Amino acid sequence: MIAFVLRRVLASIPLVLGIATIVFFLLSLAPGDAASLFVSPNITPEVLEQMRRNMGLDQPVHVRYFRWMSAMLRGDFGISFSRNQPVADIIVQILPNTLILSFCAFLLAFTAGILVGVLQAVRQNRLTDSSLSVVGLFFYSMPSFWLALMLILIFSLGARNLWGWPIWFPASGMTSVEYPFMSPVEQLRDRVAHLVLPSVSLALVLAAGIARYMRGSMLEVIRQDYIRTARSKGLSELSVIFKHALRNGLIPVITLFGLYLPFLFSGTVLIETVFAWPGMGRLVVDAIFQRDYPVVMAGTFIFAIMVVVGNLVADVLYALVDPRIRYD
Amino acid sequence: MLALWGALLWIGIARWERVLAAPSGAWDHRVAFATWILAIITLCGGSILQERRIHESRTMKGVGQWSLAWMAFRKSHVAVGAAITVMVFYLAALLTPFLAPFDPAVQGSLITERMLAPSLTHPLGTDQFSRDVLSRVLYGARISLTIGFVAVSISMTIGTVLGAVSGFAGGRLDSLIMRFVDMVISFPRLVLLIAIIAFFEPSIFLIVAVIGLTQWPQPTRLVRGEVLSLREREFIQAGKALGLSKTRLVLRHLIPNTMAPVIVAATLGIGDTIVLEAGLSFLGLGVQPPTASWGTMVADGRDNLLGAWWISTFPGLAIVLVVLSFNLAGDGLRDALDPRLRS
Amino acid sequence: MRIRHVLGRNGVRGPAFVALTLLLSACGGGDSAGRALAGLPEFCQEVLPRVEAYLSQFEQPSGERYGGTAVVGTIGEMPDGMNALVSSDYSSSQHQSFVNLMTLIDFDEDFEPRPYLAESWEFDEEAETLTFRLRDDVRWHDGTPTSAYDVEFTFSRAIDPETAFPNAAFWTHYEKGPDAVEVLDSLTVRLKVAPHAELLDPWRATAIMPEHLLGDVPPAQLRQHPYGSRCPIGNGPFVFEAHQADASWSFVRNPAFPEALGGPPYLNRYVYRIIPEQTTLLTELLTENLDFYVAPGPDQTPQIESAERLELRTFQFRSYDLVGWNARRAQLADPRVRQALTLGTNREEIVQAIRRGFGEVANAGVPPYHWAFFEGVRDSLRYDPQRAAALLDEAGWIDRDSDGVRENADGEPLAISIKYNLGNQQREDIAQIMQAQLQPLGIAITPQVVEWGTLLNQINTPDIRDFDGVVIGWVTEFKLDDHDLFHSEEVDQPYGWSGTMDPELDRLLDTLQTVVDREEALPLWREYQYRLLDVQPYTYLYHIERLAGLNRRLQDVELDARGEWVNIREWWIPAELR
Repeated sequence: MIAFVLRRVLASIPLVLGIATIVFFLLSLAPGDAASLFVSPNITPEVLEQMRRNMGLDQPVHVRYFRWMSAMLRGDFGISFSRNQPVADIIVQILPNTLILSFCAFLLAFTAGILVGVLQAVRQNRLTDSSLSVVGLFFYSMPSFWLALMLILIFSLGARNLWGWPIWFPASGMTSVEYPFMSPVEQLRDRVAHLVLPSVSLALVLAAGIARYMRGSMLEVIRQDYIRTARSKGLSELSVIFKHALRNGLIPVITLFGLYLPFLFSGTVLIETVFAWPGMGRLVVDAIFQRDYPVVMAGTFIFAIMVVVGNLVADVLYALVDPRIRYD
Repeated sequence: MLALWGALLWIGIARWERVLAAPSGAWDHRVAFATWILAIITLCGGSILQERRIHESRTMKGVGQWSLAWMAFRKSHVAVGAAITVMVFYLAALLTPFLAPFDPAVQGSLITERMLAPSLTHPLGTDQFSRDVLSRVLYGARISLTIGFVAVSISMTIGTVLGAVSGFAGGRLDSLIMRFVDMVISFPRLVLLIAIIAFFEPSIFLIVAVIGLTQWPQPTRLVRGEVLSLREREFIQAGKALGLSKTRLVLRHLIPNTMAPVIVAATLGIGDTIVLEAGLSFLGLGVQPPTASWGTMVADGRDNLLGAWWISTFPGLAIVLVVLSFNLAGDGLRDALDPRLRS
Repeated sequence: MRIRHVLGRNGVRGPAFVALTLLLSACGGGDSAGRALAGLPEFCQEVLPRVEAYLSQFEQPSGERYGGTAVVGTIGEMPDGMNALVSSDYSSSQHQSFVNLMTLIDFDEDFEPRPYLAESWEFDEEAETLTFRLRDDVRWHDGTPTSAYDVEFTFSRAIDPETAFPNAAFWTHYEKGPDAVEVLDSLTVRLKVAPHAELLDPWRATAIMPEHLLGDVPPAQLRQHPYGSRCPIGNGPFVFEAHQADASWSFVRNPAFPEALGGPPYLNRYVYRIIPEQTTLLTELLTENLDFYVAPGPDQTPQIESAERLELRTFQFRSYDLVGWNARRAQLADPRVRQALTLGTNREEIVQAIRRGFGEVANAGVPPYHWAFFEGVRDSLRYDPQRAAALLDEAGWIDRDSDGVRENADGEPLAISIKYNLGNQQREDIAQIMQAQLQPLGIAITPQVVEWGTLLNQINTPDIRDFDGVVIGWVTEFKLDDHDLFHSEEVDQPYGWSGTMDPELDRLLDTLQTVVDREEALPLWREYQYRLLDVQPYTYLYHIERLAGLNRRLQDVELDARGEWVNIREWWIPAELR
């Protein structure tokens, strides 16, 4: 097992470096650079030249590439052009926010998706099954930013201003303005309240996909002999489904875990924008528009690693859940 | 069926001027005209066939995989309804020049007709340029459905060919292709999409091409998996023994037998592509005016969600309806094509 | 002048919430309360405790107006932070000038200079030196007095090419040698200058930076120094508290702010929030999580106006939108064509449609409230399709093959593309409206979208200039100078977009900047604005009337062209509404 993991990690190093290289040269093809975004007649051409020198943009692209690569291999991501800070500092501030949001969205999505999928499989082709399908796919079919805006209008604006519901949720940010002055309990409450809308809107989209997989794999499992045997032994339906069928039905869903992991780092940009959540997606997308190569490169790098880790996690989980699989 | 007849007749009566002028008009009018005629012929033909079938006694013929699947598919009312919805949308997209009450690009008075709420003249209201939202949604259907269809065709074609070659050839070629697939899958797609669309001038062709060219790894894996399991089956072995050429084996025998999952993936993929294009529009990278996709319309209208909700809500609903239908139809298809799932 | 790029109190209660709390409790994540120094750069770990120690010895002022937190929401981050030596974005420079740092002078309501950090200033008789005398009661937030050495430091770094100070053109009329600045005593500093009408303006826009903290930093590394966005130590009315990247900046009252300058601010705390989505911003204002929504979209105004506890405020601002023409193109070389483009565009209607009337049709870059504004051009070049058509006929553009588009004698069609930047709804709208309005005149306009960075590259690079027309906006300083835009010398410099060369404009641009007396300058400005009508290097669209969505609980917010934050020291919240 350990040997397998090691082998996979080693094999993915060229993959990650290859991706980083391609992105680097792709970005260098772009017209304009970070310095040319400082437009104003107050900025003389000499100042622009100096800025380029200070940012190292006056060098030819292959020199910049080798500089960047060697610095990065030493763990130095360079300095952001648009934010005037070391990239590593920025990532350290932003990455945890993304992790919190992704973790919650994952938790919600897998819990809901698995439960719905099982329910659908048990009630295959009945009203519950098809109506759950339609409802799940309804959310799946919405452009995510639109869904997010709707949630804000309903659960924040509408709930508070129009209908006076007892509960409403904050529309943006990670914490309230008064956060630093709250007691720890209030702080937790505040954080959770701010997490609800963004993680629900992320999770709704994911959950629909998970439920669909879960339904399919449960349907296969339910038809197998050992389930019939379990039923014929007179075990209760609940125990058949949850004790026997679920364990095997979960196997294909677990691969989804690995597949969705990268999505949560790039697919969240729209959600992060709508809910003003300071996360990696926004960071990287803004950086592309601002020609802030060091940040884009670092983001890409982290993303590629996430994909590799995601796939690895999926494989390992697979082995843990399915005793037939052995990695030697 | 009746509704369809009604709609086609209504076009002939209410829009007779446009229909008559169509054969000598712009290409989209000619397409619409052809569609209209074809739809009428098909409907007539369909009814006649149906009549006949009722009278003829059913003779059982050899039942192939596809007719079995069709029978299974027909059982699911949801899937059939979804498939019909999809077809209606495509028909509407083709017939748009006859259906749309206004020219989607013509701006009304910017002072008096701006952002009017839905009314009888403008059933879905007007937008910030005093353009009729209904007409824009209809014209947007062409863009969105085309984007979905073309992008998915590109990715499915590449994916099928690469997957079949990879699975059939095996060995070095296989591992080379699969490493490449790994790399494309691990690529931060959004970064790529944004970078390419931002750095070149955004156009509908670019968007379709970029989406299509980044989406092929999934079908490649899918087809390769199918081919691997088919390769050892009797009929391929028999073909080999008969000395059929490799190209012929792959094209005539392998690929057709992998089509079922590919069709399912394609159906689902069209929906995903439409949603993806909407996401790009949010970042300002979608199809650019005056051609507007549904995604662009939702994204551009979102700042007015509170003041003029109809500008972005109706195209949004159109997206939901079409994508939902594609997904339901795809699910139905999957259930129908997979013998293990037939209940 | 810079290009415009547009880019709580949440009570949660009730039983249903408990279930969610359980489900999400793992998600809460534990981060320690309060301000932890851990994780901050070394520089910050060193200086922040000093600020704490110094300020804690002051008593917080008491009184009816003191207290409360005001929350301001805007669409963008302040990327340059509080570092005035690298700053070029609007929000950052507002916060440097009015919130965290201090400028030597500031402007009063009539945009006349008045003392701020500098107690007084004087020019010598030949107007060759400028001497500032500083107040003696201003201290940096760590207790160090603000002195003439800080001014010397700021100026010498700003003129040092290594720093790449973005607004280098500020110092055109200042001497830049090694002895250009001289500290006479700890509160007096003298600069060598050349006579000019608006010599003081740079000192309104450039905040003074702390020499004792940044003096050792090599100029080329000032840009990335943690001072800017991790731990700025200012001397202004508000003390930096925290900055969360892409989310918020917070500041607290400086209890040591000099009484002579009005004393400490009323607000306990001030928070600047970054919310990149307009609908979310509006929601937060409507649900009273924001007190101040900076520059809402014109189409959002009805919601703000109809909310009882909110008010919509408008004020004239120093920015305008325009369509810049590239006269190097055969289609646009003739000034009559450019005039026809302006005459054929119903700009009044554009102001109504795009800005909901929050703006005024412009004919030059001089804003209506500015002393140099000339009433005589206010109504010039009004929408007149007949005259536009006549001008085009006169210039030889006639529809010779009756395809609806005019051609010149060589058969070249009058087809013009108008570029605008990706994601800017208003500019996209303008290009589309112009396309619709100019089409009946036989002008084929093609709107064309380009990503911002690419667009700048295409219009600003002298040997590219790949555009016919471009929809864009300028934000000006109070010192007006169009030299970079329209002078013949600038045709091959980045901002000489139009490529027009007009000796008359050259003469005016040259003399205008040397006339010190306003009375004397007025007739020249008037002539200049007249001349622009003839040359039409731009189709000026409108001067922007800036909007502000305010919660009524926030009192005494002054809004004018100086910027939203100009009197933040005097904002207050009634005790019962805090």
